[in-house]
Amino acid sequence: MADALDPVIHAPARLRVVATLAALDAGDELSFPKLQKLLDMTAGNLSTHLRKLEDAGYVRVTKTHEGRTPATYLALTQHGRRAFEDYQEALTGLLRGAGS
Amino acid sequence: MTDHTDSADRPGDDAGLAAADSLRLIREQQDRARAALEPDARALYGVWGVAWLAGYLVLWSSVQGREQPEAWAFWVFAGAIAAAVVFTMVHSMTRTAGTRGVSARTGAMYGWSWMLGFLTFSMFLGGLARAGADSELMGLASNGGACLVVGLLYLGGAVAFGERSLFVLGTWILLVGAVATLVGLPLTYLVMALAGGGGFLVMAGVEHLRVVRRRRAGEEAGRG
Repeated sequence: MADALDPVIHAPARLRVVATLAALDAGDELSFPKLQKLLDMTAGNLSTHLRKLEDAGYVRVTKTHEGRTPATYLALTQHGRRAFEDYQEALTGLLRGAGS
Repeated sequence: MTDHTDSADRPGDDAGLAAADSLRLIREQQDRARAALEPDARALYGVWGVAWLAGYLVLWSSVQGREQPEAWAFWVFAGAIAAAVVFTMVHSMTRTAGTRGVSARTGAMYGWSWMLGFLTFSMFLGGLARAGADSELMGLASNGGACLVVGLLYLGGAVAFGERSLFVLGTWILLVGAVATLVGLPLTYLVMALAGGGGFLVMAGVEHLRVVRRRRAGEEAGRG
């Protein structure tokens, strides 16, 4: 069934965000500027997508300070990783189904 | 950028095509992310291979018909090594900047290990010099000893990062150091250049093949 595709992840821009964060190991986080550079997005654009992902419980946003500068770190939650795996399985299913 | 929400309504092949696109997008983005977040082994092995090959060949050619290489040859060698050190530090720190967590801590400890290793090694060599080691002994100790430090650090790195290629390279460098010391000066320099520098360059080539093969396998898998 094609309706199994998670609408939170399924937008191309958000898919890239999730795919990038999924490339990290489970114990690691990425800074906002680094993520922005990897995705080649504007800060505002990325913030919007991250907020949607955070609201869905897929991304963990950690705001901290490095010395006196504020810094934001991002990582997929367990829930987010599982959702991404399910999404990839659904895609693979669609791919196989299209052949028949 | 428009959402592909309508792809779920289209039947059969269209949905399959959109799925293939999405899977390719995922794979490309992840490859790009991983490449940008880790140091490139090919670049690092390549730089050190060239530094050892060129630097030690200069020492080897300068020692012909003499007791030791000339002073200028040592300076060229030191320059090559220094350049490789700077490149390694800048490259590694740029790639791993902006990450936090377990990997970052492991990487930081690894970096410190190199610094501690060579700092204490130079003190060790200083101690030998003070005890009256002659230039031949100092030459053997500094080159063979450096291979010991490098080889063991690579083995440690293989354990820390789960990198089998680092284990192979580390073992090879340990052997190079042993052989280079056993054959004695001036052959030491030739062994370091060809077996040591050459070993790094071979590993750089092997890593490149791995990257190419992985990329090709990913493309074929995406074609379903």
